[in-house]
Amino acid sequence: MISKVLKYSFAITVVFPIVFLLGLSLAQQWQFPEILPQEWTFQHWGNSLFKQGDILESLFLSLGLSLTLASLVSVLAFFMSKYIAYSKHRQLYMRLTLVPYILSPVVLAVIFQYYFTVANLSGNFIGVLIAQLFFALPFGIVIFNNFWNAHLKSIEQLSFTLGASSRQSLLKVILPLSKPAIVLCFFQSFLVSWFEYGLTQFIGLGKVKTLTVMVFNFINEANVFYAAVACVMLILPPIILLYLNKKVLILAR
Amino acid sequence: MSQAFLRIQQLDKQFGQDQILKGINLELTKGQTLSLIGASGSGKTTLLKIIAGLERADQGEIYLRQKRIDALDPQQRKIIYLYQDALLFPHLSAFDNIAFGLKLQKAKHIPAQVNAMLEKLGMQDQGHKMPHQLSGGQKQRIAFGRALVIEPQLLLLDEPFGALDPEIRSHMQKLFKNLVSSQNLTAIFVTHDLKEAIIIGDNIAKIEQGNLIQYDSKSAFYQDEKSGVEDEILFWKHLKNETNED
Repeated sequence: MISKVLKYSFAITVVFPIVFLLGLSLAQQWQFPEILPQEWTFQHWGNSLFKQGDILESLFLSLGLSLTLASLVSVLAFFMSKYIAYSKHRQLYMRLTLVPYILSPVVLAVIFQYYFTVANLSGNFIGVLIAQLFFALPFGIVIFNNFWNAHLKSIEQLSFTLGASSRQSLLKVILPLSKPAIVLCFFQSFLVSWFEYGLTQFIGLGKVKTLTVMVFNFINEANVFYAAVACVMLILPPIILLYLNKKVLILAR
Repeated sequence: MSQAFLRIQQLDKQFGQDQILKGINLELTKGQTLSLIGASGSGKTTLLKIIAGLERADQGEIYLRQKRIDALDPQQRKIIYLYQDALLFPHLSAFDNIAFGLKLQKAKHIPAQVNAMLEKLGMQDQGHKMPHQLSGGQKQRIAFGRALVIEPQLLLLDEPFGALDPEIRSHMQKLFKNLVSSQNLTAIFVTHDLKEAIIIGDNIAKIEQGNLIQYDSKSAFYQDEKSGVEDEILFWKHLKNETNED
């Protein structure tokens, strides 16, 4: 009984906001105390996707940024975490990974802003990507931290004695075993980047208009219908990724 | 210079301030199994890992077939180190685990070789199973098959039966003896169990406080007061007498 209540409560808390935002994005007029919009329209979607194109452009920019960041973090964190895990100074390195979180991303951005400006990285895609990497890479290393253990090291060493080179061991043994950890790291890094606002706004100088930045802009303009369109687009990719993530993890098992 | 199949000379290893191995000398003839005993932390595993190339010695020389190998990578030595845990690759079936080394060597007739090995192991109908579907003894058999199918020059076994129950352990000891003699393999077998060391080994060596004592024969080992054999015999005699008195 309790589990059923929890299940339905979870479904309502997840499904309701999505349905509400979808309704709002299709509303022409929706005034209190009406439960449903008085008038329906596809105009906001049509304008966003085909006429003005701002939201569609932001969607592709966000997808490009988040996918690039998630790929970079997954690859870099995989190799860096291995080095850290088998290092004598593991404890020290792991403490260092917490520094970006202690300082908070925006404070970190303030500290580095001068260098970003000098390096001509402020207000562009690469600059925002690097800024997000400072924050997401330690997060990826923390995710991989427990993956590299004595058991895995023994399996890797055994593959060496069976004649596998480092490359063969990586491709035929380590990567297949690390699939769940890589998928988890990719998914989490994607989400970190996808919903990032403060750092993106600060280093991007408002010129790098990701979908999250657009949502805030629409809200500031009190443009609730367009904000709802942007929100629906903001929610959809993580849901698709969550579904794929679950499928890949089940297949990996 | 002696013609030993494996020869280790004056090998030292230190971890921090701890001298684990001191001036180790060891010789092993082709086709023989050496049982290596010693207390926990005495350096048995470290010695095996150095021979396999998974650890580097601070000093000393290792020769295999009169060729110096201590500077070679593990991949070039054709020496297989087997752990207490079978360490099967969990994403590969029993068949593919055995085929792993053969595929790396791009060997011919891989399915035939793997099936022959499965038959030797008495597991001809288990090849399709994934490691999580096998029992502890079956996993260990597949691990043997994976090692033996590539015909290693030397087999290093680090308490491979330590986690098995007595019945399966006894069965595995017999299987190991048969496989080693049928393939004329040379092996070093680490164990804590005195009885197992005597059953498995053609010769016996012991590591104590970083020093290795290699006995000339099994009887030399039995006669050594420190070997523990006398204590074991006395224990069983005492138990037998007690039982008879009851």
